[in-house]
Amino acid sequence: MLAYILNLATLICINAVLAITLNFIMGYAGIFSIAHAIFFGVGAYTAAYVALHASASIFLVIPVAMLVAGALSLVLALPALRVRGEYFVAASLGLQVLGVTVFSEWKSVTGGLGGMIGIPPADIFGFAVTDPVQFLLLAICCLIPVLLITSVLLRSSFGRNLKAIRDSESAAHAFGKNVAIIKTMSVVISAMLAAVAGALYAFYMGFINVESFMLDTSVLLMAMVIIGGTGTLLGPIVGTVLLMLLPGIFSYMTFLPQTEIGSIQQIAYGLAMVLLMIYRPGGIVGSGKPRITKEKAA
Amino acid sequence: MNAILEHGRDILPAAAANHDGEVLLSIRNLNKSFGGLKVTNDVSLDLRAGIVTTLVGPNGAGKTTLFNQITGHLVPDSGQIMWRGASVVGKKHFQISRMGIARTFQDLRLFNHMTVEENVLTVMEPTSWIWQPGGRAAREERHEKVQSILQRTGLAAKARTRAIDLAYAERKFLSMARIMATDARIWLLDEPASGLDRSSYELFLDLLRTEVKKGLTVCIIEHNLDIVVGISDRIAFLDQGKLLADGLPDVVLKDPHLAAIYFGDQNT
Repeated sequence: MLAYILNLATLICINAVLAITLNFIMGYAGIFSIAHAIFFGVGAYTAAYVALHASASIFLVIPVAMLVAGALSLVLALPALRVRGEYFVAASLGLQVLGVTVFSEWKSVTGGLGGMIGIPPADIFGFAVTDPVQFLLLAICCLIPVLLITSVLLRSSFGRNLKAIRDSESAAHAFGKNVAIIKTMSVVISAMLAAVAGALYAFYMGFINVESFMLDTSVLLMAMVIIGGTGTLLGPIVGTVLLMLLPGIFSYMTFLPQTEIGSIQQIAYGLAMVLLMIYRPGGIVGSGKPRITKEKAA
Repeated sequence: MNAILEHGRDILPAAAANHDGEVLLSIRNLNKSFGGLKVTNDVSLDLRAGIVTTLVGPNGAGKTTLFNQITGHLVPDSGQIMWRGASVVGKKHFQISRMGIARTFQDLRLFNHMTVEENVLTVMEPTSWIWQPGGRAAREERHEKVQSILQRTGLAAKARTRAIDLAYAERKFLSMARIMATDARIWLLDEPASGLDRSSYELFLDLLRTEVKKGLTVCIIEHNLDIVVGISDRIAFLDQGKLLADGLPDVVLKDPHLAAIYFGDQNT
């Protein structure tokens, strides 16, 4: 039972990092990306590659994973500068498909569909983090700085710039905001922090393959953000905890047919999303009022 | 009156010459078409320092389109827009804004989910990077300026309210507060007082007069003739993208032919 709880808590921390970083661009910059799992994957594959071929020290692996994800995020930033709204969603979907194809086909680096196995445990000053409790502490030690960094950024002038662009890009332009730079920086920061989750995941699982970075992961992350509360600091964490706990809760409901838990879970997610959008469109933590987006409500 | 139509802006040079301040913004032979529709037709106009110019004309005359071309939201097909001698055509919106040209929008385009205070503060933060220059002193100065602007616009009590939750008149004043927070030398105001009640637009006029006394240059699109008369040093009359007259308010507003165009009676 303890092992199960530790496993769940660690995965909650990793997914919370991803939800927070997705919320950074989705909730504050208005960039609705469904390619976030790709940056998670880039972080994981880079971490695994470095750990297998160079060193498993987190002080090397995590920065390298962040740099690679940050550099590749410019591929996402490019369409974000040119298209908005549903057009960007379509463009990010294309990137998601492209990323999955690269993960599954670039066999010499990613191991193809078989993935990368035998990833060594995370190393901190020569100490291998193998114990689940220690790894949970490491995950918490990564989650807290990510939360702090995003929180500080969002309370700063940079956060105000992001929100200004989200609410009215043309007004932001008219008041001297370099929208291209601000959007690019937000995407790069989000991807770099998502790579931290990727590195943690690779170390934690000891094995990664493309299955963990598919479209359904991106959609699940988006659901975590929306259900928790888009554009709020705590919303993504609440959404992550809720969606990660749901499968466990269902498995304890013995009156449900255990072979159909997966389907029941999907129905519950779907229903929760629909009801939430009707009765609490701001999410659990967010405002109950509907968000009127973009340059409406003049 | 036919002379006005025949000669366009050149009919009133004596009136315009009353204001001989520095030409901040000079528009020359500006043209813009959307498909077959000419929305700006060979417009030439000077905006001089410390002068309030009002753009008047019926709906669809091309007034907002002219603003959009000045601020870089639209690129003219031909012609020049010069800011203190340097062309702004082809520059990005934010570069034009940073040169000292600020605008408001007819549909306000407030930062709806930010508070009133944040709406004003974010306009005052000059860089797009993560931290602003000047450290704590500059930050405190910005906060003091925000409070001062909110006091003057009557929004101090709503500082923590989201823009989307404001009443209509308050939203209009927030739009003004934002432009007051800029260091711009020219304000382009797109129907800033439309929909305001009498007491609100008296406050608006007071605000504007105070700023103009400090040397600000203003160009307003306005339909409310009380405001037009109350604030304008000069009026430019546009119709179907063409500048028909440009001169003192008394002269332009009393012209029966322009009145006929404005009020829709073409038989006068």
